[in-house]
Amino acid sequence: MAVCTVYTVQSLNSTCSISKPTKTHLGFNQKQLVFFKKTTTRRTTTEITCSAGDTVVIGLAADSGCGKSTFMRRLTSVFGGAAEPPKGGNPDSNTLISDTTTVICLDDYHSLDRTGRKEKGVTALDPRANNFDLMYEQVKAIKSGVAVEKPIYNHVTGLIDPPELIKPPKIFVIEGLHPMYDARVRELLDFSIYLDISNEVKFAWKIQRDMAERGHSLESIKASIEARKPDFDAYIDPQKQYADAVIEVLPTQLIPDDNEGKVLRVRLIMKEGVKYFNPVYLFDEGSTISWIPCGRKLTCSYPGIKFSYGPETYFGHEV
Amino acid sequence: MASSFTPMSLNPYSSFRSASNGEINSTKKIMIKMNMITPSSKDGTPLKAMKFKGTQMREKKLTEMIEQKVVEANQVCGEDETSDECKVAWDEVEEISQAKADLRLKLEKLHQDPLESFCQENPETDECRIYED
Repeated sequence: MAVCTVYTVQSLNSTCSISKPTKTHLGFNQKQLVFFKKTTTRRTTTEITCSAGDTVVIGLAADSGCGKSTFMRRLTSVFGGAAEPPKGGNPDSNTLISDTTTVICLDDYHSLDRTGRKEKGVTALDPRANNFDLMYEQVKAIKSGVAVEKPIYNHVTGLIDPPELIKPPKIFVIEGLHPMYDARVRELLDFSIYLDISNEVKFAWKIQRDMAERGHSLESIKASIEARKPDFDAYIDPQKQYADAVIEVLPTQLIPDDNEGKVLRVRLIMKEGVKYFNPVYLFDEGSTISWIPCGRKLTCSYPGIKFSYGPETYFGHEV
Repeated sequence: MASSFTPMSLNPYSSFRSASNGEINSTKKIMIKMNMITPSSKDGTPLKAMKFKGTQMREKKLTEMIEQKVVEANQVCGEDETSDECKVAWDEVEEISQAKADLRLKLEKLHQDPLESFCQENPETDECRIYED
């Protein structure tokens, strides 16, 4: 379905050109038609742009709040434009909008607000606290070029606020705890990423996040992680088998007994055979590589770097 | 911007104190714009980009909520560690802790006050009064 944005409306005439289709690194094509109009006195350009591509939908599973993580900001800046909250709307909106991309937080599809969850004895991780029907309807609508009024879940008050208008962007990212949980929503995703933070790293990050807080102590941080773990393992973790790419953040192997977490080990697991997705590789597509730059030289900075790349099986898929 | 700055209000804070009911006159609007450059303390360390009363109230509220909810969680879990109530209590702690961290991130790393855009449209509201230290 084509979505057209008209910038100025004047009588159409003369030359029309089709610019070269551009390929992004994910490999999808977007054709654009640009119309030029010449007047007798001076040359004016009337630009009408038609995108002959549907909105691309990307799912990101993460347990670190919504749309505010460094990862999400970097991703949106790669696509183009700085992402900002919608101007003039609800200041507690979780949505980020840039020129090319709109990122929404799936917490907005909570069916139970904080009081409701307390009454039912259900955490936010539990699928019973989320309205997957609405999630499916709205993601489907955006994907086919229709704007939606999406509810806002206010993380400060714990209430569900009046909806905000979401217009279909070129790239639509749904970020949250359950992007791949519901099979129908999963089908709508053109690409999916699961951010898999290991328990040790999660603990280290949460300590860094919360230790300065008056209310927190090492025990309370630990207790919070442990209490959420059963629901996390039952509902969130299984989604990683569906992801096209899994980013694992693990403790480093380069520093023995490290508990600072300043140096990290990151694994990128990329599913093979996904349409338009060519996994990145080191040196050569087919080889298995293990590389330590400057492994023995004494002048290299501690603890150095180690790279490796190779094929594996992950939850029954070739990766 | 500088050309419409009246000479008697060279001290950016003086006219805020004089309009105690929170009414924003045009001079204030200009000073709000001037303060958009993140103020620094004397030794050069940048202060947080907190601009509006609403943000200060929010930060305070979140801090109090964290304290309160941790106490609650310890209480509830003291009775039965495996209960649903215990899980939910710690989940609430996590939610509020993350909300507070997001606010801190915005202020300290991105130097944005989350109420910036809202207050541009609604400068007369209580939340949009300028925050004074």
